[in-house]
Amino acid sequence: MAKAVGIDLGTTNSVIAVVEGGQPTVIPNAEGSRTTPSVVAFLDNGERLVGQLARRQAILNPKGTITSAKRFVGRRFDEVKSEIQAVAYDVVEGPNGTVRFKVHDRLVSPEEVSALVLRKLADDAGKFLGEKVTEAVITVPAYFNDAQRQSTKDAGRIAGLEVLRIINEPTAAALAYGLDKRSNETVLVFDLGGGTFDVSILDVGEGVVEVRATSGDTHLGGDDFDRRLVDHLAEEFKKENGIDLRNDAQALQRLFEAAEKAKIELSAVTQTQVNLPFITADANGPKHLVTSIMRAQFEEMTRDLLDRCLGPVEHAMADAKVTASDIDEVILVGGSTRMPAVQNLVRRLTGGKDPNMTVNPDEVVADGAAVQAAVIKGEMQDVLLLDVTPLSLGVETLGGVMSKIIERNTTIPARRTEVFTTAEDNQPAVDIVILQGERERAADNRVLGRLRLEGIRPAPRGVPQVEVTFDIDANGILNVSARDRDTGAEQQITITETSNLSRDDVDRMVRDAEVHRNEDERLRQEVDARNELDSVSYQVRRRLDEVGDGVPSNERSRAEMLLAEARQAIENQADLERLRSLTSDLQQIFHSLAAATATGDGQGGPEASAPDEDVIDADFTVG
Amino acid sequence: MPDGPVRDAEVKPAEDARAPDGDAERAVEHEQERVPDDRLLRALADVDNLRKRFDREVARARADERARAAQSWLPVVDNLELALDHAGPECAPLAEGLRAVRDQAVALLAALGFPRFEDVGQAFDPARDEALAIVETGAPSGTVVATLRPGYGTAESMLRPAGVVVARASD
Repeated sequence: MAKAVGIDLGTTNSVIAVVEGGQPTVIPNAEGSRTTPSVVAFLDNGERLVGQLARRQAILNPKGTITSAKRFVGRRFDEVKSEIQAVAYDVVEGPNGTVRFKVHDRLVSPEEVSALVLRKLADDAGKFLGEKVTEAVITVPAYFNDAQRQSTKDAGRIAGLEVLRIINEPTAAALAYGLDKRSNETVLVFDLGGGTFDVSILDVGEGVVEVRATSGDTHLGGDDFDRRLVDHLAEEFKKENGIDLRNDAQALQRLFEAAEKAKIELSAVTQTQVNLPFITADANGPKHLVTSIMRAQFEEMTRDLLDRCLGPVEHAMADAKVTASDIDEVILVGGSTRMPAVQNLVRRLTGGKDPNMTVNPDEVVADGAAVQAAVIKGEMQDVLLLDVTPLSLGVETLGGVMSKIIERNTTIPARRTEVFTTAEDNQPAVDIVILQGERERAADNRVLGRLRLEGIRPAPRGVPQVEVTFDIDANGILNVSARDRDTGAEQQITITETSNLSRDDVDRMVRDAEVHRNEDERLRQEVDARNELDSVSYQVRRRLDEVGDGVPSNERSRAEMLLAEARQAIENQADLERLRSLTSDLQQIFHSLAAATATGDGQGGPEASAPDEDVIDADFTVG
Repeated sequence: MPDGPVRDAEVKPAEDARAPDGDAERAVEHEQERVPDDRLLRALADVDNLRKRFDREVARARADERARAAQSWLPVVDNLELALDHAGPECAPLAEGLRAVRDQAVALLAALGFPRFEDVGQAFDPARDEALAIVETGAPSGTVVATLRPGYGTAESMLRPAGVVVARASD
């Protein structure tokens, strides 16, 4: 079956995504990039290039390289006079006042150019997915009129795609965050891309998304910020060295790359280095551009660009008749919204609300379009039926800690088996306490039930193997069984109340675990360390008994002394450091005892002397 | 995938068909008993597909990360190269040593799957080259006349195209 995709057909870049396994994911193009430049080149020989390849040859073919076709799609020639000034190729009037690009004596419509971009995205995605892409949801800006929407649909059709629906970019962003499922909310979408700025106010509720107002600036974006940084660096260098780097193609290329990198770094740190050694040379030798830029400095030189975002936001809010306090959610779209100054501005304008930015802002629109495509095709339903365990499930083990068997958020039905053993010699039975929760200490979690497995044949501690299986069916009913591998004896219990916790209870338990994480971690380490010391003490004692008189008296007395100290340390709950140093001392004794006797299985350490110890996950206390 | 391996499920019925006649009735009965729930089959298929996708994605993630790490080293190699271009005869022994370091870096990139190329004298190819400048020379139009920055990679995995100067016929 063919996949239905979502396409964000942008002014400068386009993105294609598909829902797989219930989650939208972006599909990389043939060159391996997750975004594709919306650029098409028509060569002299009739060949056409799309995306990155078209961009690479742009300066060789300025009249045949079409960028920003989206600015002309579905518009009349007399509407686009100002846009024509901004492009290097020729724009002419076509039949009935339409817009046409004049390329090598041929007239090309904006729809054809958009179609070539769509075709490349769909073809590359088809190759990646291993199946042809024939259906798509395509996004357009919320302010697009009917003619522009119809033309975008036509572009899809020319590309051989069945356009399932044309949806608004801000609506797609809201879908990607699942906001359509909320009831009655007002959402502000702030979209600052590479070359355009859009702000929209949405009303969402019960699966319906309505655009209440839009505003923006069609010529403002991240590229302007890069340009400022390039100019700043070039001017500074010129002042110092009298050379304008902008006149040197290679230097300019390096400057742009460095500026973009610096801009990105300044989103994470407050100061960054620009390091361009050997940027140019004069009679005196090579010149280097090595400088640092502070975030504050960058924000100062781009303040006016940022200020240009203010008006449209205020305008949209006034049109929608909402104030900052009416806005429930804010969504950031477009790579430029990663800049802290932009985020601060949005926060300030929306009454201090924290914006949604967990979904990659370059991809959120395509993701939302993919979700819409999957919903139209009925692909989202099956996935939603699957449930997860809200809390971890496990058993209590030696030292009063919880050993998790099924982690929280595991998709059910699920089945896991782990092997446990005894903590004492000749232990006749094990008690299995079934726990639910996220805390390390057994007593801090909820007890779901108990199970006792008796009739274990006398054996040294660590030898019996008890398989404990947790099986949760699709309804959340938990079946726990314990089986003695030696005798085959088995006990089981069914627990139906695993899922009767309210959402609040679950949240509280998860939060508790988060709050106590550090102390729980320490407690776990202490219990583990005590268990380890106890285990090595046991091995050393056994070895001493086995070897008997073969042990030199000085070594025996040192071992006895350490064993006594270990017992005390365990009883008195000594600190981690003490437990660990005793453990390592006893391990050394064990090895030297093994070497001294050099008989049979003497090479193994304490770990190796218990059979199959590697499969044992924990010890049960005496039952 | 037409030339993928034949699935087990497609082989088994053929084996059953070869069962002796006397057992045929029982075989049919047996078969009906075993007709699995459609949803179960779908779920199993989903798991299988997920596993395949996971394998593919791990491979891709590794390749992507390798390219990303290699790419972040490119400016260092570029700058070393620029330094060598400025080395005059007065520092020849040092330059010779630095050249060896550069060669080492280039060999390392090649070993990672990103061999270096320059393309001077060849026709401009947007799959390999990025045009940074144009000159009017005697060379045929569309020929790469100089490399401002070497490219790294192969047709399948292009780390960075070569930054080149392209000739245009003077007219």
